[in-house]
Amino acid sequence: MKVLVTGATGFIGRQLSLDLAMQGYDVKALCRNTDHPYLIKHKNIEPVTGNILYRQSLGRAIQGCRQVYHTAAMAKMWCRNPDDYHETNVIGTRNVLEIAANAGVQKIVYTSTCGVWGPTVKHPMSENDPRIAGFPMAYERTKYLAELEVQNFSKQGIHIVTVNPSRVYGEGPVTESNTVGKMVSAYLRGKWRFIPGSGEQVANYAFLNDVVNGHIAAMEKGRSGERYILGGEDISFNDFFNVIHEVSGKEHRLIHLPLKAIEFFSHFEKIKTMLTGLPPFFLPEFAERLKYDQKYSSNKAITQLGYRITPFTEGMHRTINYLKQA
Amino acid sequence: MINQTAIITGASEGLGKSFAIELASRQINLVLVSLPSSGLPELASFIRKNFEVKVNYLEIDLTLAESYPAIFNYLSDEQITAHLLINNAGLGNWSWFEDLNIGFYKKQIELNVITPVLLTRLFLAQTDTSATSYILNVGSLGGLFVVPKKQVYGATKSFIRYFTKCLQLELHGSNVKISLLSPGGINTKPELLVMNNKLKGISKATIMEPGHVARIAVDGLLKGKKEIIPGMINRMLVLLNSLLPDSVKEIIIRQRLATIIKS
Repeated sequence: MKVLVTGATGFIGRQLSLDLAMQGYDVKALCRNTDHPYLIKHKNIEPVTGNILYRQSLGRAIQGCRQVYHTAAMAKMWCRNPDDYHETNVIGTRNVLEIAANAGVQKIVYTSTCGVWGPTVKHPMSENDPRIAGFPMAYERTKYLAELEVQNFSKQGIHIVTVNPSRVYGEGPVTESNTVGKMVSAYLRGKWRFIPGSGEQVANYAFLNDVVNGHIAAMEKGRSGERYILGGEDISFNDFFNVIHEVSGKEHRLIHLPLKAIEFFSHFEKIKTMLTGLPPFFLPEFAERLKYDQKYSSNKAITQLGYRITPFTEGMHRTINYLKQA
Repeated sequence: MINQTAIITGASEGLGKSFAIELASRQINLVLVSLPSSGLPELASFIRKNFEVKVNYLEIDLTLAESYPAIFNYLSDEQITAHLLINNAGLGNWSWFEDLNIGFYKKQIELNVITPVLLTRLFLAQTDTSATSYILNVGSLGGLFVVPKKQVYGATKSFIRYFTKCLQLELHGSNVKISLLSPGGINTKPELLVMNNKLKGISKATIMEPGHVARIAVDGLLKGKKEIIPGMINRMLVLLNSLLPDSVKEIIIRQRLATIIKS
């Protein structure tokens, strides 16, 4: 069976393409540049040049595909042109859905994010919980708006399932949006020197292989119009670095940086970016988020999709081995 | 001390939802009021679970006359005395007067004017006079400045300003504190944010996050502040407004109007 994967050079998309190819699917891998170094070569993967913002190129790519995995997104922390988030995440998603529907695609899996819930309070968030904060981050806001597009299409009778990965880590390249990969590889090189605040803030880390399996299970078993959180363990910053230390055997002294200092620095960075146009290292909306936990429950995916969580220590072991070889 | 209870109208999203979270985090019980199928049951169960306060909710349309007594009949049936009333529900617009139909304006005036007035009246009738009660009326900086394309909205918020200021005089010395919240732009519904994203300069700098506005508002309310203007730039604008002569303000607004017509 022919399937289309958008974002085939992305952290999730490339591994998903490979897994599908190994399972015998004919994968059309949509990418803007088919010479991209992260594109995986496999006999069942056919690279297709295209851009979700150019509808014609999408139409060509989607021909003959029965299923579409839409993983392409603007997931970077910062863009020079802030409208890029809306263009890629909202308009791009609308394009993919419209063209897939017209081309007679049977099923679509849309890759959203746990960022549509964002900060949590006491208990881990699950699919029916409300968002409690505003949307200061363009990425989260536009992914939320894209989910509204998905809901509209689902109401029109198109089979579409949304998956919401949390913070994804694993055996893959350190891309610009692979935040965890950046932190781990910096730590291994002795370049990561601080822990924000007390380090007790908790976030949810999903192992790449689990997330990819979750995508394929969502295509097979997911109910149309539903969302499934694909997460992992809830881990504090302190535990995160303790595990990296134990697994890698490398010990680096980390300084607890007060959140106030990070906040001050982030405003400075914002002004720097406004004046010079240089990419910021950190922005105030991210500093604000460090005050909160981001805990998510994958129970729905576990019971309904057979989703499986790799223990964090095991996942980190494999990630560190991969990064050491790369 | 027993926990206090707050009624919040328009609680399902935006600033109303932020009020709910902010008050719950201060261990205040909630009665949430919003339209049916706006996600109130999910919000209520989330708040109960995460903040361990009592949350009741009512899914009703506040433009219907029977809704006002219905809220307070429900409270007395449940033996709840409300200590705080957050008159938050409202309907905004940004369009030329002739572009919307009379049904919209009727609804807007009902929700922005009639609802807070009648709820305040019924709330005062049930307060426990031995304890302090609080009313927060959500106005707008738009109630102070004349902003084109906000004709009816701005007028309803001017009404709220007068109404609140007058009640402050009438209730002076009583056990009821009433505050006016005059926010500038707030990043509420992401569906609206596409527009806020396009704002530049001062207009952009006045936009605030709902959680931040709610925190400042509740602080001010509990301190008994008469008017709460969140944000330093907004406070400067208000100061500037009181200093500038009317003729200068008119020139500024006309210039602004000219750029709006061009866009």
